[in-house]
Amino acid sequence: MEWNKLQDARLAVIAKLVSLAPAGYLGRTALMKFCYLLQTVRQVPLGYRFTLYSYGPFDADVLSDLGTAENLEAVKTSVVQYSGGYGYRIRKAERAEETIETGIGLLEEHVRDIDWVIAEFGSHGSADLELESTIVFVDREGARKAERLTISELARRVKDVKPHFEEAYIAGKAAGLYEKRMLRSLAASMVHA
Amino acid sequence: MNPHDTFEIRCPVHGFVALNDWERQIIEQPAYQRLRRIRQLAWTDQVYPGAMHNRFEHSLGVMHTAGLIYDAIIRNSSKVLHDELGYDEQGVKRNRQLVRLAALLHDVGHSPFSHASEELFPDQENGGGKFVHEQYSAAIVRGPLREAIEEHKLNQGYNLEAEDVAALLEGSAGARQGIFWRDLITGQMDADRMDYLLRDSHHAGVHYGRFDLQRLISTMTAIRGKDGGPPRIGIQEGGWHAAEALVIARYFMFTQVYFHKTRVAYDIHIREAMKELLPGGHFPTPEQLSEFLAWDDWRVLGLLASGGGGEHGARLSGRHHYRLVFQTNEVQTPDDKARLVKVRASLGELLAAEMPAGKSWYKTGNTDIRVEDERTLGPVPLSVRSSVVRNLGNNDQVLLYCSPENRLEAMKKVKEALDGME
Repeated sequence: MEWNKLQDARLAVIAKLVSLAPAGYLGRTALMKFCYLLQTVRQVPLGYRFTLYSYGPFDADVLSDLGTAENLEAVKTSVVQYSGGYGYRIRKAERAEETIETGIGLLEEHVRDIDWVIAEFGSHGSADLELESTIVFVDREGARKAERLTISELARRVKDVKPHFEEAYIAGKAAGLYEKRMLRSLAASMVHA
Repeated sequence: MNPHDTFEIRCPVHGFVALNDWERQIIEQPAYQRLRRIRQLAWTDQVYPGAMHNRFEHSLGVMHTAGLIYDAIIRNSSKVLHDELGYDEQGVKRNRQLVRLAALLHDVGHSPFSHASEELFPDQENGGGKFVHEQYSAAIVRGPLREAIEEHKLNQGYNLEAEDVAALLEGSAGARQGIFWRDLITGQMDADRMDYLLRDSHHAGVHYGRFDLQRLISTMTAIRGKDGGPPRIGIQEGGWHAAEALVIARYFMFTQVYFHKTRVAYDIHIREAMKELLPGGHFPTPEQLSEFLAWDDWRVLGLLASGGGGEHGARLSGRHHYRLVFQTNEVQTPDDKARLVKVRASLGELLAAEMPAGKSWYKTGNTDIRVEDERTLGPVPLSVRSSVVRNLGNNDQVLLYCSPENRLEAMKKVKEALDGME
């Protein structure tokens, strides 16, 4: 897909995700991880190149596109203070529908995937989204190498990257993702090994 | 030679870069020496004649800077690292060496003329888009540099594997707990960016990329995560003006150097000329490393000097570069976008090339920097503290080019398209 069209499609996805957010807004972490999950689990061709950080899969281009969506008045971002610190709130802006209309046609067969990611992950907090997207990332690395992992092996690898989480909690999250058919490196017989 | 000897290399930015024998042995490898033959800023010397520096000196500078940042973070936040990531003294030493090696080797996978030719990397078979230079760097670390990394006597206490360095470079789970340091290699305040802004300014002879490196580094720290989340790298409260200066330096360097209209035109020409020179129009894959490593600036320049590179080779040799015929505002409004669409359509076949800022490797982006709140010790986005950073919009500028032969006609078309739109 040529650059202009690809960017139109990305902007449409960002505007659509924000429009569908259950709370009426998205945080930056949620936006980043939703784009990752759309591209990786549902193969939405967004052309991002996610690599792993301690806070999960990340591509600065998502934030760059968010900035462009702000310039084009498709979304607006504010920073709010709450008891735990500061957070971003990305809300729909006046030209959201126009932006969606311009780019969404390029991803026509994936429109339902945007509903899917919101339905599956829309209510999750940022710490869980970081963990879940990291589990998917580590799973896909294993799958690319044709590995068959047990759930404890997968959880151990994830814990190496995210030592903050208990291994049992990671394994529980991985089992949930597996049951929803989002993981590829786990053999069915290995899930409860 | 005593493996515990240390060495120094003169550096125009940092004065001296100190290195141990392990690092020196790695630098002596042909895969690293090749960086002497990869220019840092491609054909930027056509605009700023001094900008003839290479990836060799930059990579040494990044290693030096990464070491300084690492030491500052350990000094400023050893308790956080101990409590949250379980660091002990040996872990601190091992990770320091890991970070320095990753910084030293982060660019070994560059193709000739650096980012200018990256679009000629081949497509990956798994549908993951084109390869990127970090994947070549990781492949070189796992291949030709493995022995130099793993077999040195200084590694006996660390047991570092080439895989540890490669995984940190490419951002994969193999980096394990070392992944925490990835922000120092590629992030909003990484050692790469700090070095290239200062070095590119120095060689180009501009002051746009200057900022207070010492202050910035001395205030870098690991900040506890919000809501009990993991720690992240950021800046102490006292350093936020230095961080603000880094963001501004990046903005100015982008607008004045990296996205300079003529520099961008030369990026287009060298890319198109190399497309003619490369078999199949693209570089060998990371699996074909010896063939890839045979490509450097010298080889390309030799081929251009002997008349290769087609039309674009001739434009490079004769300095008949494309001319800018239209540019949007840096912060593109919906009206700007409408104007761009109309001008693009009006130019038709006269439009020789188009370059959006969003496609540039140096684009300024929208990533925030974390500041450690003095009172709560939690993170505050720099954009909350700095009104300058808050108001620095994402740069979406698009440049349209025509050939010099068609310039007058193209200008006329642009004027016709814009008449009545202002």
